[in-house]
Amino acid sequence: MTGRTPILTVRGLSVRFLMPGGRRIAAVTDAHFDAAAGECLALIGESGCGKSVLASALLGLLPANAQAAGEAHIGDLDLLAADERTLARAVRGRLIGLIPQSPAAHLTPVRTVRSHLEETVTALTGARGRAAVRSAAEAAAERAAFPSGHLDRFPHELSGGMAQRAATALALVGDAPLLLADEPTTGLDRDLVEHTVDELRRHVDTGRRALLMITHDLAAAERIADRVAVMYAGRVVEVTDAESFFGASGPRHPYSRGLLQALPDRAFSPIPGTPPELGDLPAGCAFAPRCERATDACTVLPPPTDGIACHHPHVPEDLRA
Amino acid sequence: MLELHDITAGYDGGTPVVRNATLTLAAGESLGLLGPSGCGKSTLARVAALLHRPDTGTVTLDGEPVRGWRYRAPRVQRTALGIVFQQPRLSADPRLRLTDLIAEPLRATGRRDEIRQRLSGLAPAVGLTPDLLDRRPHEVSDGQLQRACLARALVLRPRWLICDEMTAMLDASTAAALVGAVEEYRAATGAGLLAVGHDHRLLDRWCDRTVHWNDITTAEVRA
Amino acid sequence: MTCEAPQGTVWRSYGTDRRSTRTVRVRVSAALVAVTVLAVLLVPPLVQLDQQAVDLQAKLLPPSWAHPFGTDDLGRDLLLRCVYGLRVSLLVGVAAALAATLIGTAVGAAAGALGGWAERGLMRLVDTLSSVPHLLLGIFIVAMFRPGVWPVVVSVALTHWLSTARIVRAEVLSLRARPFIDAAVSGGASRWRVAIRHLLPGVLPQAALAAVLMVPHAMWHESALSFLGLGLPTHLASLGNLIQGARGSLLAGQWWPTLFPGLLIIVPTLAIAGLAGAWRERINPRRRSELML
Repeated sequence: MTGRTPILTVRGLSVRFLMPGGRRIAAVTDAHFDAAAGECLALIGESGCGKSVLASALLGLLPANAQAAGEAHIGDLDLLAADERTLARAVRGRLIGLIPQSPAAHLTPVRTVRSHLEETVTALTGARGRAAVRSAAEAAAERAAFPSGHLDRFPHELSGGMAQRAATALALVGDAPLLLADEPTTGLDRDLVEHTVDELRRHVDTGRRALLMITHDLAAAERIADRVAVMYAGRVVEVTDAESFFGASGPRHPYSRGLLQALPDRAFSPIPGTPPELGDLPAGCAFAPRCERATDACTVLPPPTDGIACHHPHVPEDLRA
Repeated sequence: MLELHDITAGYDGGTPVVRNATLTLAAGESLGLLGPSGCGKSTLARVAALLHRPDTGTVTLDGEPVRGWRYRAPRVQRTALGIVFQQPRLSADPRLRLTDLIAEPLRATGRRDEIRQRLSGLAPAVGLTPDLLDRRPHEVSDGQLQRACLARALVLRPRWLICDEMTAMLDASTAAALVGAVEEYRAATGAGLLAVGHDHRLLDRWCDRTVHWNDITTAEVRA
Repeated sequence: MTCEAPQGTVWRSYGTDRRSTRTVRVRVSAALVAVTVLAVLLVPPLVQLDQQAVDLQAKLLPPSWAHPFGTDDLGRDLLLRCVYGLRVSLLVGVAAALAATLIGTAVGAAAGALGGWAERGLMRLVDTLSSVPHLLLGIFIVAMFRPGVWPVVVSVALTHWLSTARIVRAEVLSLRARPFIDAAVSGGASRWRVAIRHLLPGVLPQAALAAVLMVPHAMWHESALSFLGLGLPTHLASLGNLIQGARGSLLAGQWWPTLFPGLLIIVPTLAIAGLAGAWRERINPRRRSELML
């Protein structure tokens, strides 16, 4: 923990989907975490573990068959209790800046980057009058290192990296205290991934913003994150410092360790088995059927203690022995 | 041997996206082809899988020169190559259950009687459980769907496997599991592999040798 | 389930009202379509009344209990005539829509699947025919035959398959570029098998939707032809014929002989469009997968 006051506090956030036939899918269950100013929290987990649903819940973009519970505070505002009007006028863009997956698809194809930026500036800031809006849009582009010579281009004329910068520029316009990046590096080349996360890091290092980055790319997370939250089957199973997570001592939850060991520059060995269905979770620890450390104790749900929800976490001594 | 010699390929008469590429794989060899996205390596992979006719250049498959592509390629040549693509959602017919998805090449080549026996071996090898096999693509995750796509590529026991960014959309554990399944198949059958990707750490670990895109295009031909 | 959220959790729902208005719309549309179809199928055989029964004592009566839609200038019951008219109009509409969809799907699928010069030729033909006004071409076709139901069906079908051909071709082109077609080719499938097993099932929902939306379109076209006196013979009471015949009484201030047949064209049109819209949302795979994780 950085000891600074958190910008985003999530307490007991759960999301479930009601499916036809009365089935319930527990997409997110009882999530707790914080994100402070100047800090990057990486939320990692495999596809379908519920991390994108968590992002949608924070932005109030859940589909009609979803139900949410718990609290997610930015300042005094509970995002989950806010009505659509508040979310549209005060939250999206102003409190949370979204950096989307595949930014080129996120931009309107028939309008230039400049017109996107000017529209956002008019909507989110006090700038009025053509000249003021124009210069504010140019300043916003410059903040995200988007070259002013490319401002009059259309989205399809931009390279992947440029589109990413355009999307970042848009997310920064409202000067939101929380940046939410949803799989910002999927499908990008390694060089571009590193470049993108370095740029995101730069915006966090101003010390005024928190960044919540949702990703399945562990290498990207290692490069950018101060803290790491690992999600498995809808639950946050481990929240820890990035340094110890990726460093010598390694993560403590058996799932996190397995995920890390699957990287090609580590053991390159998969975790045996497949994740459980979110509509049919086992009683107790959801990871137990795939876990080599599982015992009878694991039929009871492990309470999160010290950032870890596991009955048999690895302790640093394990490694020295 | 899988030999691609001096391949130039493009789409609809536009500027070619692949220029003078030359690549040779020895029997049973695994080769990683590294290149940035958009460089044309997927097009070259489709040429190698006999799915895209190059403008110029020759492809030789196990000593036989390739004379036709797509439907014009003889079935024995086409099915000697299995291919797995980057995006499982787009590579699976959304109407087929996973069982039918995997068995489709057997049906297309008139070998229905082998379906049961082949599936019972393949499904565990790629990590698919029986209840998943009954579902349709929109009811499974990306990782599970990609496992089915790999099984489909292996179902006709190809001598060559082409993996175009097979793991780029997947988490580390699923990626490692799929690579493990490919290597198990190769160990059992001696099949060769062309793995196309941008992640040098992955391809260095996976393949016998890796080449960079810049080294197989125009430069190598001139040298 | 023990893995559910802790006891006493308060759940909040999202966006329920938007969903319920859609449900209401779909139900109302379904009910209207059902009533229309049932009336058209059941009333003529069950009700032993003659729609042609002339009663000059009761001509041009406004709507009343005895004649809910009023009577026309020969004293015939308008409700009964409207039901018979709807029957003829629907028959023409459905037959023409089916024929148009068959032609359009065949041409569009052939263009998309064959590619090359065959595609260019077929699509230029579609463009050329589209540049001629529908009604003009339709009139030209009916004029070649003696008045009757089938010339009208042929005329509507031959002028309405163009949009379906475009839709189907676009869908085939987008499907053909998907990797799953590549995978099928690599798995040894023949051109024929790819077309039948992968391409056709992919375009059928779109083609069927186009067919459903074309039923009202064809009904309008038939009414327009009949209104111009070029469609069905006057003894076959189609909705267009009814309106045409009642033009004179409208000027005399008698509104019912034109209003009710007109409404019977508009209401089923809206109901069918409402149902088709809901169906389109259902077959769109992106919407379906949105609810998944």
